[in-house]
Order: sequence, then structure tokens, then C-alpha cells
Amino acid sequence: MNYTDIFSPDKLFGTGSDSSNPIMWIIWIVPIILFVFYGQRIQLMVTSGEINKSITKLQKYKEETRKELLDYLQKSKMSSDIASKIDRFLEYFTIMPVDIDPNGIMPKIKHLLRSRESYTRNQVTLLAENLTHLEASKIQNILEVVTSLNLLHKLVRHLFLTAKKQNNFPLILPLQMMIPFIMEQAEALKGAVSALKAGQPIGDGIGPMVVGKMMLKSEKKSIGLETVYAESEFEGRTLYLLKAEGPAATVGRPGDAVEMLVSEKKPNVIIMVDAGLKLEGETSGTIAHGFGAAIGGIGTDRFQIEEIATKHNIPVYAIVIKQSIKEAITLMTKEIADKANEVESQVYVTIKENTKPGQAVIIVGVGNTLGVPQ
Amino acid sequence: MFFKKEKPVIAFTVETCSSCKKEIKRKFREGDCLFASGEQCDACKIPTNIEKIFGQTIE
Repeated sequence: MNYTDIFSPDKLFGTGSDSSNPIMWIIWIVPIILFVFYGQRIQLMVTSGEINKSITKLQKYKEETRKELLDYLQKSKMSSDIASKIDRFLEYFTIMPVDIDPNGIMPKIKHLLRSRESYTRNQVTLLAENLTHLEASKIQNILEVVTSLNLLHKLVRHLFLTAKKQNNFPLILPLQMMIPFIMEQAEALKGAVSALKAGQPIGDGIGPMVVGKMMLKSEKKSIGLETVYAESEFEGRTLYLLKAEGPAATVGRPGDAVEMLVSEKKPNVIIMVDAGLKLEGETSGTIAHGFGAAIGGIGTDRFQIEEIATKHNIPVYAIVIKQSIKEAITLMTKEIADKANEVESQVYVTIKENTKPGQAVIIVGVGNTLGVPQ
Repeated sequence: MFFKKEKPVIAFTVETCSSCKKEIKRKFREGDCLFASGEQCDACKIPTNIEKIFGQTIE
């Protein structure tokens, strides 16, 4: 073989008639062998790099929000050793009840969550002296944000390190698919802190905002923990307007309150106004009507409302204002705030269409009522 | 090309006069709360009400 012309372009790229060039052979064969035997490992390395970046970002979010919480707490008269107390909060966990036999699981979940909630509330009030109810609720919400970010960071890191330790590419694939959604949630959580600190209404507060405005001129009565209702009248119908007690950062206890109101006032219709997650492509602030209990969370309040409505044969109508996860937990956008009056008029239309004069209606404004009084 | 720079969000408060329905939009101030009394309406000389508080991205 003549080795003097192996570097000629014709020989190198196989454009000539002779395809026996050894350099050309190495260029094509070596990568094929490499990808056949090590392809998965190379892919694992590339994917690992991307996930690693997300983990670093999650850690940064966690640390930043923790620092923001500590700075916020510095404003109040602090009890000593606050940082270690906060760090202990971040590591709290909840063991969900056994669900092999799901019968009767809802009261157990409710009891568990209530216990956790009241414990956190009590602990937060001990963090600083003379903490107002509003301030305590804001701190509790920021604490929940930091805890969620801490959990997200730990979970993603665990799945990533397990896959790396086992050198298991299929194990990393679900994580790679989930990472954009996790990051979207983490960014939303991080963005929520500034609104929580400033006491500004968040997107989820559109339900309480509409109902709060409707009950402005009526006398407010307390019903359940951090929940209020007012009695009003509209074209011969009695309205029972219900929402969490603002302007604190709370969702109240709508399940308990609806149960009490139904037992006492025997309403004919329940209307629930809430923020709803929009699908990709849907416009933020779109108002949608539906049936059933429009309420998020783990499901205990929804279960309670569904139970009582079914028992008394009361139809439940839902009006939701569509928004993204980020819009729901960060400062309310203009598009959503502008819809408040339209939602209010649609509530009245729903009342007129579904009830007769002399009947009673419960209207529930569901959501976090931060910055929304009544 | 692939990196989206996050635009800053500014909080605004909208006050409405219950008499002349005039809307005044201003930057959010600490302590602003929905449905609370706002500044005085220049035309009607009565206090306005805070109607909306929202965030808007600045281009």
C-alpha cells in the first residue's frame, strides 16, 4: 500500500474509488464501537451535568429563601438561637396514615395535618416576642416555602446520587423528565417570598378577593379557625359569604365552616370561587364555570364539602380563575386582578340562574387571603 | 438565545374614587391593603379606596 497519499482529501473522505484508507476506517469504526459499548455511560454523563446544574440551583434557592426568612425575623425581637430552630423546622416530616385499608383515612389525614399546623403555629409565635397574627401567618407561610424547597432539593439530590452510585441510566431518565416541572415549582416558590414578606395579595387570593369585596358592608362573624362569614341579600336570596380571615396569610378552614353553615342555615346552593391551574396554551385570568368543590390542598376540605353537600343534596357550582402555578403563589398579576369585577358579576348571574327568591346560597372564596381583608 | 433574562416585577396599587370612579395607579407602598382607604381624590375631595394590588413586569 502506498502510504504517501493517505492524507489526500479523496482518500480521506472516501470520495475516490479506493475505500481502504486506514485513517478513514478509524474515524468511522472507533466511534461506532465507542457508542455501542459506552453510549449509555456518555448519555449518563451529559444528563448528569444538566441535573447537577438544577441541583445547584435548588440549593441556591433553598439557601436564599432561608436567609430571607432569617433576615425577616431579625426585624422582630428574636429569641436566641433562631437559625438552629429554623433548621430544625426544615427537617420536620409527616408520616401519612396507612392506606392499605383506605376506609376512614380522611379523618386520620385531617387530624395529622391539623396537629402539624397547630404545632407550627405555636412554634412560630414562640420565635419572637409580641408577634402579631398577621406577622406570624406570614412567617409560617415563608417557613413552608423554605421547607418545600429543602424537600425538593433533598429529593432530587437523592434520586440523582442513587442513579450515579448504581451507574444506572434508566433510573436517571424519570428524573430528567421531571426536572423542568420541579424547577418551575421551585422558581414559583422562590418568587413567592417577596409577596409574602410585603403582605401583597397572591394569585391564589382571587377567590377571597371577590368574596371579601362582596361582604365589605356586612357584619362579619367568626366561624371556625381563621375563617369568617357574613350574611347578605341579593334579589330576595340570602347569601352566606365565606372566606378565610384576611389580611393574614391563611386559607382558613372552609371545610369546617361549610359543614357548620349547611347544618345551621340549610342552603339550597353552594358556589365556590377559586384559582385554578391553567393548562399550557390557556390564557391567564380566563374564567371557567364547572361543578363540584373547587378547592385544592391535600383533599380533606374537599372531602368534607362533598360529604355534606351529598348528604343534604345541595348542588355545588365552581367558578375558577385560570392561572399558572407561578402566578398562583406569587404577587397577583394585573390580568388576574382585572378579572375580580367580572367574577363577581358572574357569581350573581350563577345565583340568579340557579336559585329562586327566598332561597339561600353559600358563596365560598377559596384560597390564601394574604393582603385581602373583608 | 437560550437564556431568558428575568424581567423585574413592580407592585402597583390602584385606588378608585367611589364618587367619580377615577382610578389612580401608583407604586405599592408598605402597609397598602385591599379595600382600605387610600389618598384623597383631587376632584371629589373624598378618600379613595384601594381596589387592586398587582404586579406588572417592566419591559
